[in-house]
Amino acid sequence: MTIAPKAPRKLTMKQRYEALTRDLDWEPSYVAKSDVFPHTEFEGIRIHDWSKWEDPFRLTVDAYTKYQAEKDKRLYAVLDGFAQSQGHLSLTEASYLNAMKLFLQGVTPLEYQAHRNFAYLARHLNGPGPRFAALCQSIDEMRHTQTEIHTLSNYNKYYGGFHNYLEQHDRVWYLSVPKSFFDDALSAGPFEFLIAIGFSFEYLLTNLLFVPFMSGASFNGDLPTMTFGFSAQSDESRHMTLGLEAIKFLLEQDEANVPIVQAWIDKWFWRGYRVTALVAQMLDYMLPRKVMSWKEAFELYFEEQMLGGLFQDLAFYGITPPKHVDDAIAEKEVLSHQVYWTLYQFSHAAAFTTTMPDADAQTWLSENYADTFDRLYKPLWDKEQKNLDAGGRHFVRGLPQLCQVCQIPMLFTEPGDPTTLCQRDSVYRGEKFQTCSNGCQWIFEREPEKYVQAWLPVHQIYQGNCGGATIPDVLAWYGIQEGDGGEYKGSVDDNNWNTWHNAADHSHIGSED
Amino acid sequence: MAVKSIGTYDFPSRSRQELYGDDQLVHLWFQENPWFCAAACFRAPKAMTWGDFWNALVVPFAEEDPDFDPSANRVWTLHGEPFQPRDEQTLEEIGVVHKDVIGMKVVA
Repeated sequence: MTIAPKAPRKLTMKQRYEALTRDLDWEPSYVAKSDVFPHTEFEGIRIHDWSKWEDPFRLTVDAYTKYQAEKDKRLYAVLDGFAQSQGHLSLTEASYLNAMKLFLQGVTPLEYQAHRNFAYLARHLNGPGPRFAALCQSIDEMRHTQTEIHTLSNYNKYYGGFHNYLEQHDRVWYLSVPKSFFDDALSAGPFEFLIAIGFSFEYLLTNLLFVPFMSGASFNGDLPTMTFGFSAQSDESRHMTLGLEAIKFLLEQDEANVPIVQAWIDKWFWRGYRVTALVAQMLDYMLPRKVMSWKEAFELYFEEQMLGGLFQDLAFYGITPPKHVDDAIAEKEVLSHQVYWTLYQFSHAAAFTTTMPDADAQTWLSENYADTFDRLYKPLWDKEQKNLDAGGRHFVRGLPQLCQVCQIPMLFTEPGDPTTLCQRDSVYRGEKFQTCSNGCQWIFEREPEKYVQAWLPVHQIYQGNCGGATIPDVLAWYGIQEGDGGEYKGSVDDNNWNTWHNAADHSHIGSED
Repeated sequence: MAVKSIGTYDFPSRSRQELYGDDQLVHLWFQENPWFCAAACFRAPKAMTWGDFWNALVVPFAEEDPDFDPSANRVWTLHGEPFQPRDEQTLEEIGVVHKDVIGMKVVA
């Protein structure tokens, strides 16, 4: 008698997930658990039961790769079509790409750093649930790095500023702002990283960081970037869910975790918010066709959604809105103007161009910032117009004072007084350190031994570590070439753009004459 | 509060004065002049006279502002106190230390 083999039992999605993730975990028998996971105690966070982690996305590796491959296929089809049809010519203007140069130089390398640290969490967290979630996010971040590079590499063929973003990220003054922000998180413990990047960056500030770039792309004819944005969107919503799950898990595990997490929220809100200064000026000044003002974006994505929504929920755990949030709110009508005025006068040392806002742009600014633009910033542009008429162009002949924490030139003003620069001074081991705001000073004084190591671009130039003592020496060391930076009007990009659009015969597109 | 760390955490400042030899960093804050977005940062010898600091470093930087008038009346501050620099005094004699901020305001 033969017995017919049983048909293989088909597992439900949930069972498959359990079998392929949690069931692969085991209890160590001949080594101590603390030797297997040596990094999860020193920060003072107490976890009693790792199995309480609720998996935000019950994905298995095979399902995950299938979804991602489909999304990649769609994205790369769009990229091919755009390249073959000379899609770059249908952008609103070549100057729009300054926003994308900033994105590629400033944000894409952060995706890669996020990939690295989530891979580290995928090894070092004790629980199999959070380890697997971190693994998925680690792969996502690698994929985002690659798809962003591929998306923007199309423009590298025709426009300046895209060719050396990786080295520039490590060297150029304004890119030390996002780089040092992420280095700060990478050099923290695993739980602080989860709150810094998983929660504060990917949840609290994500809409302020990414949506403006993607909406800017959609308003300015940049189909590839917009498609990349859509392709990343479902990943981003998973990341947001992970960030939220992470904070709830830590808060629910032990009451002693609450003050630790609160301090990290206070710190990382301000650190992340300072990075969004670059986004603020991009929205209000760099986009030829505007999407919304920084003030509106801040009110909608931060004040309404986060302060009005998220923090109401977190109050249940005893979490309060971030320290110094009032200073950020008070800045919303002045921030973008101050930052762009700074980039304008230092763009001779940047890998993007700037130009004076024209009459239409100034009208838009004055309508959107009725209380501040005409009173405080229009007079500066009027003065610059006279300067331009007299054959000048405002480029600073020297180097600025930098904030020891956020590394942005000390351009910010006192809360409530937009005409007085904010100068904060601290002394540590007999040495003076300056910060740009109450937030950055508080962060410095909390961990001075960390921030005294800051690689401040201005100080490094003066120490002779950046290629030489003259501006051409430093620019050469930055890998900045003719046409990458400076004034937009009359730049290589502007001239090419005009030639390509005025010529009846487009066969020379991409050539230099 | 100190850094919570898995091992010894003790690193020198990356901008300590000794890295600049006989020089130091000096910040100059153009108060009430928004033309310059932030205070300027100069590297200057401690023994540099105020006259040289002004003529060799400050003026070439500041004259990029079309309204700059080198002979305007100015009020100077250091460590929150007003001071009146004399050309022959060195920065050290004035009391300027590494990374100090000198305030400069034009008055009528």
